[in-house]
Amino acid sequence: MKVKLKNVFVVYFLVSVIGLMYALLQLGQPCDCSQHLRSASDLMHGKDKKISQLLSEVKRLQVRGKGPELEGQALPIIYAITPTYARLVQKAELVRMSQTFLHVKNFHWIVVEDSPVKTQLVSELLAQSGLRFTHLHTETPKEQKLKESDPNWLKPRGVEQRNLALQWLRENRELSEEGVVYFADDDNTYSLRLFDEIRSTKRVSVWPVGLVGGLRFERPLVEKGRVVGFYTAWKPNRPFPMDMAGFAIALQLLLANREARFDMLAERGYLESSLLQSLVSIEELEPRADNCTKVRRGTGSQDSWVLSMVLGVQWIKWVRAGDQDSWVLG
Amino acid sequence: MLRRRNLLTTLLIVLPWALLLTLWHQYPATPRFNGTSPLREEGLPSCSWQQASGVAPKVIQNYVYSRPPPWSDTLPTIFIITPTYTRPVQKAELTRLANTFLHVQNLHWVVVEDSPRRTNLVSNLLEKAGLNFTHLNVESPQSLKMNGSRIPSHKPRGTLQRNLGLHWLRDSFNKTQPPEGVVYFADDDNTYSLELFEEMRYTRRVSVWPVAFAGGLRYESPIVSPAGKVVGWKVVFDPNRPFAIDMAGFAVSIRLILERPQATFKLEGIKGGYQESSLLKDLVTMDGLEPKAANCTKVLVWHTRTERPMLGNEGKHGFSDLRMEV
Repeated sequence: MKVKLKNVFVVYFLVSVIGLMYALLQLGQPCDCSQHLRSASDLMHGKDKKISQLLSEVKRLQVRGKGPELEGQALPIIYAITPTYARLVQKAELVRMSQTFLHVKNFHWIVVEDSPVKTQLVSELLAQSGLRFTHLHTETPKEQKLKESDPNWLKPRGVEQRNLALQWLRENRELSEEGVVYFADDDNTYSLRLFDEIRSTKRVSVWPVGLVGGLRFERPLVEKGRVVGFYTAWKPNRPFPMDMAGFAIALQLLLANREARFDMLAERGYLESSLLQSLVSIEELEPRADNCTKVRRGTGSQDSWVLSMVLGVQWIKWVRAGDQDSWVLG
Repeated sequence: MLRRRNLLTTLLIVLPWALLLTLWHQYPATPRFNGTSPLREEGLPSCSWQQASGVAPKVIQNYVYSRPPPWSDTLPTIFIITPTYTRPVQKAELTRLANTFLHVQNLHWVVVEDSPRRTNLVSNLLEKAGLNFTHLNVESPQSLKMNGSRIPSHKPRGTLQRNLGLHWLRDSFNKTQPPEGVVYFADDDNTYSLELFEEMRYTRRVSVWPVAFAGGLRYESPIVSPAGKVVGWKVVFDPNRPFAIDMAGFAVSIRLILERPQATFKLEGIKGGYQESSLLKDLVTMDGLEPKAANCTKVLVWHTRTERPMLGNEGKHGFSDLRMEV
């Protein structure tokens, strides 16, 4: 047949009519899309799984990536100094702490009892903990001891014990050894990330602390990577207005300054300053936890250990630095 | 000349059809897949399920800083049901618990929030912890809510949340082929020794052990006869309860939970201290109890309470930056 235009149009017409009829017939028929959807969602699941697998790979490599640079010279040891005293919840607190510390590499726990002798409870607990530890003891002199009726903040606690631990370190460690000293009270909560952050301390590192000082958190103020002040509501004029667990000191700094210790007679809240002012100045502090924007440690007080005090609100102008975490509580 | 014109016309005619054909080939309207691939039901060894209305399960394997010991196919699983609610120390408590649970093999943590929706704080914490977890939520009606201001009373708390945890277990596992395992209700402010989990792991029905600081005593404990059977309760607070034991003092085997689908914690008319009994009486009788912890002579769990932190310096309008997650 010759390719006449008329013929072609006829053919087109017929084909379109047939197609239209087919489409009209299809209309209103139940379409089995579920298979389609299911396979599509399967595809998404597969992709999700792949993504999370890759993410975990990345994180694992990141962690390992951080390791080797320190691994080369052996990971600096973290020495946690924990003063403790006998009371009902002592064992529970120490058990909880040991469970956290077991996750930390190259860790050495220095437990100092406020007692004339080493108690069996603590000795057994430490022996079974699986941790590297040093068990010391020294009794707080009677005049300095809190009476049952005293409020917790009346006299400084754990001073003699922490000083004894510092003395032990000075007698048993060399300047050549790399280490970091952290004062870990037995009623606090520590996140594992904290220990990663403090391991690289060169002099004194600082970070925010949650649930202390009558606030949701206290923290150093950081500008351009340097500490310029402190964000706290209680006695902000202290040389170092921070909590015992908000800083860590390089072992070498302590060994080099053999006289630095906590002052038993320090005014309330000045205990930390009494040690730090002979070691470092504010400009030399090393901020951690993303330039002090993340809270790594919370104070959960048990019965008689109250670490915060209500004394009135002093408002301080503060400057934010770095990025903030994006979560809202509750 | 005629031939060339013919060719041109043919080409012009064929071209749109060819285009149409290629388009149709790429986007077929007709279903071309054959064989359905149904949504996989993840079995026991997989890591975490997140369930809320309408959200499909997501497998998360995100170990950041610490890993739990590798999953073993032979060890019974320990399912921990933890009700939790938002308050300043919530993150600290859950962090502590996570640090503890990371030492236990074959542990699956079911965290149930008392909230209308799952909070970011808990979601992020669970994802970063590296544990096997399931994150659920159900809001308690206002009358039962644990407010920060309320003095801890004897009103039962966490009931709805624990029941949701049980419900999830019953939904997730087949009654005819129950997995080997045990369920434990772990509140987020207690302290658990690692030995406790190994004691409860092989529970056949319901196992019990002493709990420190419960019931106003140094410890509460079941009384165990020389034959190794539980015959009574060494308690001072209401010793006439059918099961005078704290929530942290017992664990139930999964099989039993699945066998008795009607056994849940009761809400209505339950006096303080009777919540545990409201569940256990539907599951077991006194002589079915298995004493653990060296015939109930060791304390492996402490009913510690965390003191509310003093946040007086926050003042009426808040002082610290609310954007910082605490």
